[in-house]
Amino acid sequence: MAFEKVKLPFSLFTLILFGLILLSLQLMSSATQESSELSALYSWLLLINGLGSVVLLSLVGVNIYTLIQHTKKREAGSRLTRRMVSLFVVLALAPAVIVFYFSMQFLHQGIDSWFNVEIDRALEDALELSQSSLDQRMRWHLKQTQQLTEKLQDSSENRVALDMENLRELSGATEMTLFSRQGRIIASSSINLGDILPSLPDKNIWLQLRQNGEYVAVAPAHEEKLMVRAIAKVDTQEPQYLQALYPVPVRVYDLADSVEFAFVRYKEMKFLRHSLKITFTLALSLVLLMSLLAAIWVAFISIRNIIAPVKQLVKGTQAVASGHYDEPLPVIAQDDLGFLVESFNEMMNRIAMARDETRIAGFEVENQRAYLETILANLTAGVISFDASYNIRTANQAAYRIFHIHVNHFIGRQLLDLINDSSELAEPLKSIQRLLEQAEDIWQQRIAFLGPNGRQELLCRGTPLYSQEGLRVGGVVVFDDVTDLIQAQKNAAWGEVARRLAHEIKNPLTPIQLSAERLQHKLADKLEPADAEILQRSTRTIVHQVEAMKEMVDDFSEYAKPSKKETVDIDLSQLVKEILALYTLKSGVKFKTDYEAGVLTVNGDPISLRQVLHNLIKNALEAIDSEGLIEISLHRVQKNNTNFIELALYDNGTGIKEDQIETIFEPYVTTKTKGTGLGLAIVKKIIEDHGGAIWVDTSRKVGAGFIIQLPACHSEPL
Amino acid sequence: MLSSRYLAIFFCCTLFWLLPFTGYADDLATEVIDAEITLQKDHYVLAADIAYQLSKKATIALQSGVPLYWSLQIKLLQQHPYLWDKTVLKTDIHYRLQYQALLNVYRLQNLSSGETYNFSTLYAALDLMSEIQDFPLIEKSKISPEEDYLCALKVKFDRGLLPVPLRSIAYIDKQWYLSSDWTLWPLKK
Repeated sequence: MAFEKVKLPFSLFTLILFGLILLSLQLMSSATQESSELSALYSWLLLINGLGSVVLLSLVGVNIYTLIQHTKKREAGSRLTRRMVSLFVVLALAPAVIVFYFSMQFLHQGIDSWFNVEIDRALEDALELSQSSLDQRMRWHLKQTQQLTEKLQDSSENRVALDMENLRELSGATEMTLFSRQGRIIASSSINLGDILPSLPDKNIWLQLRQNGEYVAVAPAHEEKLMVRAIAKVDTQEPQYLQALYPVPVRVYDLADSVEFAFVRYKEMKFLRHSLKITFTLALSLVLLMSLLAAIWVAFISIRNIIAPVKQLVKGTQAVASGHYDEPLPVIAQDDLGFLVESFNEMMNRIAMARDETRIAGFEVENQRAYLETILANLTAGVISFDASYNIRTANQAAYRIFHIHVNHFIGRQLLDLINDSSELAEPLKSIQRLLEQAEDIWQQRIAFLGPNGRQELLCRGTPLYSQEGLRVGGVVVFDDVTDLIQAQKNAAWGEVARRLAHEIKNPLTPIQLSAERLQHKLADKLEPADAEILQRSTRTIVHQVEAMKEMVDDFSEYAKPSKKETVDIDLSQLVKEILALYTLKSGVKFKTDYEAGVLTVNGDPISLRQVLHNLIKNALEAIDSEGLIEISLHRVQKNNTNFIELALYDNGTGIKEDQIETIFEPYVTTKTKGTGLGLAIVKKIIEDHGGAIWVDTSRKVGAGFIIQLPACHSEPL
Repeated sequence: MLSSRYLAIFFCCTLFWLLPFTGYADDLATEVIDAEITLQKDHYVLAADIAYQLSKKATIALQSGVPLYWSLQIKLLQQHPYLWDKTVLKTDIHYRLQYQALLNVYRLQNLSSGETYNFSTLYAALDLMSEIQDFPLIEKSKISPEEDYLCALKVKFDRGLLPVPLRSIAYIDKQWYLSSDWTLWPLKK
């Protein structure tokens, strides 16, 4: 389990950026103050903060876009992130907007409250008062100057400078100058002896002077002082103008200046009221916007960090769902989520262990199943299992061997579907199906059908299967091919009959025959010719019948004794050719042979096998006309991984009745008027003693056909 | 494809929004009617005739006691055919105009020379600013007779010196776009 060091939710970069944003906002806030040194940078700060907002908006936009993309792709944790971010934004936005709204309200009301009509009026009145005061002073100084001009009227040009000096000192003016009409300085006197050039009126003053003949105005002087410039006309022959500069008392100037400053400031503020509101609103909006954007951005980062373990958990559960238990999730933090991740890892570990155990158990079950399947497959008994709906679930190889149908191909289908492939199985299968559905316990039944190899006897045992709850979940049918066993039992019984006949009947026959012949011999001469004739006839009858009985008992002996006496490798084609050579000569019957190329060798007793062929050909010859046809073919075949030589013998004679087909190979069954009925029984016995099989080929519709299969020699190539 | 289309629409909207700003300068801008630099003795001197204009808002602001600032920017550039022009001379004349409510006069200060003038009318004050006579720029010796020179003159209304509350508005309100364009002419040697 990987424990990592506990991390702060924000990186250093985020903290620095956040700090810069705050600093920038603080600077901008300071810059809104006119007196601040930062006011010169106000525009730049506004721009920087605006750009900062754009950058933050971009960051938030990118995060929102990424989140939308993730949500669309249904990535792990995206929906939780969306919900948390939405919640955070709503929680952050609502109070911020409320505070912003009321701040704006207070701000606007606050600014508006600075201005009212009374202050406005008071300041205007104060200014007007100051102006009136100065105006009165100006008029007084003008009057004073006009009075001075009267005194200068009589002054000669030589005395005018001296008179002016006296008048200046008398009037309290700082400077006094006498101009000609053309602006030439006639005389000048100043309180400052250093002032060589007097203050000259500008062209506007001259214009007024020429229009009105006098001029008075307050003008700013050096060193932030005010002075009253009064010019009056001196009535002389050549018009002259007397200019006197009177200082405004410092106190008056200070008061007037103070009033003006207050008035201007108030007027300026009043003018700027709207701009001030806009500026504060802008600054406040920018602060709100940046704070919100920064908070949302940080929220994105924080939520991403918080969601990370949840995301991992989701991925982990997806991995578990897809069967991957091998990668434990890293424990990022030692908090509740960390505990959850640890618990998840523990759970995953246990699931992995359980899975491994299940897998091992599965392997064992699979091995067991394979083992059982192998056993079932190699059983000689056929086994077919059924589900609750009596559909075939499993079938082993032996089922195919017995039914000669690939039962495996019918898995999931009904047993009766096998009838489509093999109609002769209809009755036995219906019987099995009925038993399956009806039997409540183990059942057993013998069924017989005509298979491709002749009549087959099956011993079927079945049992219904029950679940632990007692519900019927299917059934199993096991069937053995007991054809050979029954045949062997029959053969043994017939053998015993034959042996007893030989022993119990044959022994008395010779004394009977001898006794009859002795009676004939002793009494023939002593009887009348007529009686002698009767005796001779009777004796002959006894002897003939005894002979017949002997012959019958010999046949039985032949049937009872083992047919496979001395075994050698026999080339069947050669044998058939030899035997056919005997029949070809003495009958008009046509023989058609078909031998497969190569040596067709079997291991057996040549005498017995000759007898088989003789019996079969004899039977065929007896069944057909003199112009009949007998076909004999020899082929190699393979059945159940064993090589066989198949000998097929067909005639176009009268054929075998259908009801006789099943019993044709039993003793005393014959279609002929004469004979013991042991021929085919002996043939079957010899063939079976050689490990082969014989059956009637029912597919042939003309005449009769017999098929013999004998195991090929081991050296026989196929 | 969809996002690029939205981007194009966004740019078009932004351009459309910014379009009115491009025309602001022409309406109320100060105009340099005539300007020439001539050689007087050893100095090149500037003479210019400038038509100042004040918007309604600027006039109200001035009469409300807000001081307005202009700077006359003068540049002399040595022209290079393949490189950037070299600035040989760069000088400014700063003016400050303020209304004095007490005396009902407009006080004009030449901040570069320190001279102060009082005018009873606004037009008289603007009239003083509009006429530049014999303003010495550069010595003759510093001008190479082989090189070509370009003279540039611009009247800039200094919005950065307006009161802070007015400043941000001044950047987006055409009433405060009072600067002139650059006037360029070759130097006659």
